[in-house]
Amino acid sequence: MTVKLDRLILGANPFEGVSYISRSQSVHYLEYFAKDENVVAVLDAAYNAGVRAVTCSNTANVMAAFQKFPRTKDLAIYPVIPNAYEYAMEASEKGVLGAVLSKARGFSIYQKVKLGLRAIAKIKSVLTKDVMDLLLELLNFEMTSFEKLNLGGVILHGQITDLALSSHNPDILSIFQDVIRESYDLEPILATHNFGLLLPQLIEWKIKIPIMAPLNSKGFMMKPSKEECEKFVQEAGYQIIAKKVLASGRLTPEEAFSYLLDKKIDAVVVGVGSVSEAYHTFAAAKNILKI
Amino acid sequence: MQEQKKIRVAVIGLGKLGILHTAVVNMIPQAELAAIADINKQLSTYVQQSGLRAPFFSDTDQMLAEVKPDAAVICTPAFANLSVAEPCLVRDMDLFLEKPLAHTFDAAKKLTRLVSGRKTVHATGYLFAHMSLYKKAKSLLAEGLLGRLYRVRSSVYTSEVFGKKKGWYYDAEKSGGGAVINIASHLLYVLYWYFGTAKSVFAQTRHIYSDVEDAATALLEFADGLQVVMDVSWSVPAYRLPYTEIHVEGDNGTMELTNDYLKLYLYKAHRGYPKEWTTIHKIDLPSGSRFEIGAEGLYEEDQDFISCCLDRKNPAVTWNDGFEVQRMIEAIYRSAAQRKAISIGEIQ
Repeated sequence: MTVKLDRLILGANPFEGVSYISRSQSVHYLEYFAKDENVVAVLDAAYNAGVRAVTCSNTANVMAAFQKFPRTKDLAIYPVIPNAYEYAMEASEKGVLGAVLSKARGFSIYQKVKLGLRAIAKIKSVLTKDVMDLLLELLNFEMTSFEKLNLGGVILHGQITDLALSSHNPDILSIFQDVIRESYDLEPILATHNFGLLLPQLIEWKIKIPIMAPLNSKGFMMKPSKEECEKFVQEAGYQIIAKKVLASGRLTPEEAFSYLLDKKIDAVVVGVGSVSEAYHTFAAAKNILKI
Repeated sequence: MQEQKKIRVAVIGLGKLGILHTAVVNMIPQAELAAIADINKQLSTYVQQSGLRAPFFSDTDQMLAEVKPDAAVICTPAFANLSVAEPCLVRDMDLFLEKPLAHTFDAAKKLTRLVSGRKTVHATGYLFAHMSLYKKAKSLLAEGLLGRLYRVRSSVYTSEVFGKKKGWYYDAEKSGGGAVINIASHLLYVLYWYFGTAKSVFAQTRHIYSDVEDAATALLEFADGLQVVMDVSWSVPAYRLPYTEIHVEGDNGTMELTNDYLKLYLYKAHRGYPKEWTTIHKIDLPSGSRFEIGAEGLYEEDQDFISCCLDRKNPAVTWNDGFEVQRMIEAIYRSAAQRKAISIGEIQ
């Protein structure tokens, strides 16, 4: 089955202050996009350049921008869940399980009502009950952030996909796939930084869903190697959403999209750091990739 | 064809780093994840449900007796490192110990003595030794690109502590300290790797929110009068992740080394590097990792340990290296407590 995917997707790394180039760029992103009107300005520029999809975590500035941007209803949002960064930040104080529990305990009354009594009972007794069920409830909880938005699909965070890959066991990915399809009637997507290792495993497990993976001429974040990733992109018959295509700014949009031209991909995710970058980048994408 | 020998590895301690090491060990072809141990019994559910097939033990001694692993990756809180490592060494196991080596200098000394004269492969988790950009900088400095070195400014900052926090990490009795031992120890390892053990240290620490220090500044003197300033804080805003910077000044120019790039300014061209500016981005360097999770270098670090277990070699960062870092940490704490410069020679 082929899933309908938006071909050009705005990424949110700059909105979250992520840069692999320099601290100064990261600081600029953090400061600039702390104002949600600047996120709105980039959303607007991307929209004007023809982009109709955004992928993001439930970070406050992006969620606020969605509320303010008048054309949000015309956008397909691809949530990346769970927000692994938040849990990681709490883990040094509380341990990994403690961080998850802390999140659960932080649910507001409204959220608890939404989750239902069954989930609350589970959270209270988690230390003797089913951790997997709790994690599913947390996924459901994070999905509530996006419930008023038009969703295009749901992306499992790369850290979780890659942890699941390392366990050599299909259960977590199968459950994610089933929950997103059955509970939300949406398409599950897997993000990964280990595409060339994940893909053969998915084939063996007979899990066929779209994958969002780094793809760029630098080989940046293409594991286990650029060559192996390229081979699987061309031959495996999976729907691929290419990310890290600009290699965090080391490639120009023209270089990046020219490289992608002969690759069997279904969509491209690109983050941009300003209005002018949005117009330049997406014009180049549409021109070169004929979107 | 004879099947290649695999090292049977137990991961002990299933916190954040234990989870990441478990994932990495499970992806190294020459390793077999033989067991997982953590005193928190509830984590057995996590292990089962995450699909890991290795058995879980809440009692390390029982695990060692039943599984008899070849090696262990120890990711316990620092105060437990010695007591966990000892029974492993009795069984002649090879050991990877997450940094710091121990929560106190005395415990680190005992650990180092335990492996002295033994054939045990012992590694410490100073990750920067496995990062491409830091290896590149090491090779450039070693070949004398900057000429005679006279000054280094270095820092590491992260946004982690902005109020009183709970847990062993913030309890000096258990962690051995705060930002210095937990965050700056990586930077101190790099300084040791590049310039050797410091000769003397003068330091001040600062408690802002915690019972342990939240920030510190140290002036270290290395061989040939090299002056090194090291500044650390985990209470600075707008650092999503720990960010390290090292500025090296020599008589042929400067090197700025960060998490993301290495920038050279040379007064005279040297072995293919032109006069004035050269920038090398991390992204442009080849990566030796075939699997990546959590942090750059983690796969290389565990792969190095496993390869050394197979080949009976010393890994990139041994406990002896970890001990030298611990001496500098101890000197920083003593200097701050006594408000005077401390000679590293005093720390024995």
